[in-house]
Amino acid sequence: MRGHAHLIGNYHPGSSIVHRTPLWLKGILLALVAVACFGFPTVGATTAVLAVVVGLHFAAGLPARRIWRAVRMMAPFLVLIAAFQWWQNGPGTAWTVVAAIIATVIASNILTSTTTVAALLDGLSAAVRPLARFGADPERFGLTVQLMLRSIPFVIGAFDDVRDAARARGLERNIRARTLPVVIGTVAYARATGDALAARGLGDPED
Amino acid sequence: MSLIELEAAGASVELADGGHRTILSSTTLALSEQRIAVIGANGSGKSTLLRLLNGLLLPDSGSVRINGLDTRTHGSAVRRSVGFVFTDPLSQLVMPTPVEDIELSLRRLKLPAAQRRAAALAALEGFGLAKVAENSIYELSGGERQLVALAAVLAVDPDVLVLDEPSTLLDLRNTRLLRSTLAALPQQLVISTHDLDFALDCDRALVVDNAAVVFDGAPEDAVAHYRAMAA
Repeated sequence: MRGHAHLIGNYHPGSSIVHRTPLWLKGILLALVAVACFGFPTVGATTAVLAVVVGLHFAAGLPARRIWRAVRMMAPFLVLIAAFQWWQNGPGTAWTVVAAIIATVIASNILTSTTTVAALLDGLSAAVRPLARFGADPERFGLTVQLMLRSIPFVIGAFDDVRDAARARGLERNIRARTLPVVIGTVAYARATGDALAARGLGDPED
Repeated sequence: MSLIELEAAGASVELADGGHRTILSSTTLALSEQRIAVIGANGSGKSTLLRLLNGLLLPDSGSVRINGLDTRTHGSAVRRSVGFVFTDPLSQLVMPTPVEDIELSLRRLKLPAAQRRAAALAALEGFGLAKVAENSIYELSGGERQLVALAAVLAVDPDVLVLDEPSTLLDLRNTRLLRSTLAALPQQLVISTHDLDFALDCDRALVVDNAAVVFDGAPEDAVAHYRAMAA
């Protein structure tokens, strides 16, 4: 499987102010971006938030292609959403909705691109530590979220691989040939990941 | 050196019709040599035998013990002392970059974050992989991936290293690199392989066929036995 596509970016090493910002503050800023975009859905507010987020992206020293890569993957959905909103509510709403989605995805991208996986795991574990008294396992929670993020590019890559294989066999219009192998491959991937974690003792109770 | 003991250990899988298929018939072994090869055809039961050693698979009957620790009752302790390297490193590497994957292994040691990072980088440095520490695992060559998988397992210093066909996906150059790397390790190694040169490097070899160990002895004799079976 390819597993190369990334809607949510991998860590990009750097020493920018964004990299040095504590994870909790980045989390709050990400939440504020979402609240600003979807809580105050005006053209002016959403455009301003998008501009700030793009500015932060470059302030973090992240390449422009990371924005393009994330937007390109969403492009078919964005076009459909924009067309529908334009038709129903006019161009202003279409822009507001699309810009809000792009702004939140770029903000998420900035968080994951400027934070190491280890720091994310530590942060997530710390965030749910108060729930440990109710039986929650903070380490396992953090690892589960990280594995979920890691699985997204794999599943996207699986769709690409299966599409190519179906094309090679002249089955590009066969829904079954284009979906069933993805399901089987994804289940096999989940099992292999489970085995890999178990072999390293990472799911053991005392961990 | 560690002592691996299988006492009448057998394993089976449940079939869709409710029946059972034996994937390893009752096996009794005591393995104390430093390098042990497991050879046999595809589907013969090699991987089943290996997975029993790390507790990834528990025996339906009998027992498996590593230095006296039963895999059924002391699974966590067994996994701490037995590292497992899979055939496909992409199945094993669960983090986006080599350094993060090794850090994941080290989380079990409860080290402070900075110390964990330094230890992960040192582990990669030891394998000459420092330059790819921050690369995506998808950008690495097959040989680099297999070495990262090995480094991630060795980072927690296991007593025993179990490798399930580690060279199957490697080209000749990377196979040689892996062989020389493994030859320098102090750990006890149990390696399943189709590469008979690999088997000949070992101190003892088992031939597995049709879910049973059918030969156990010197590697030269085991390879001859396997060749005769395949003829």
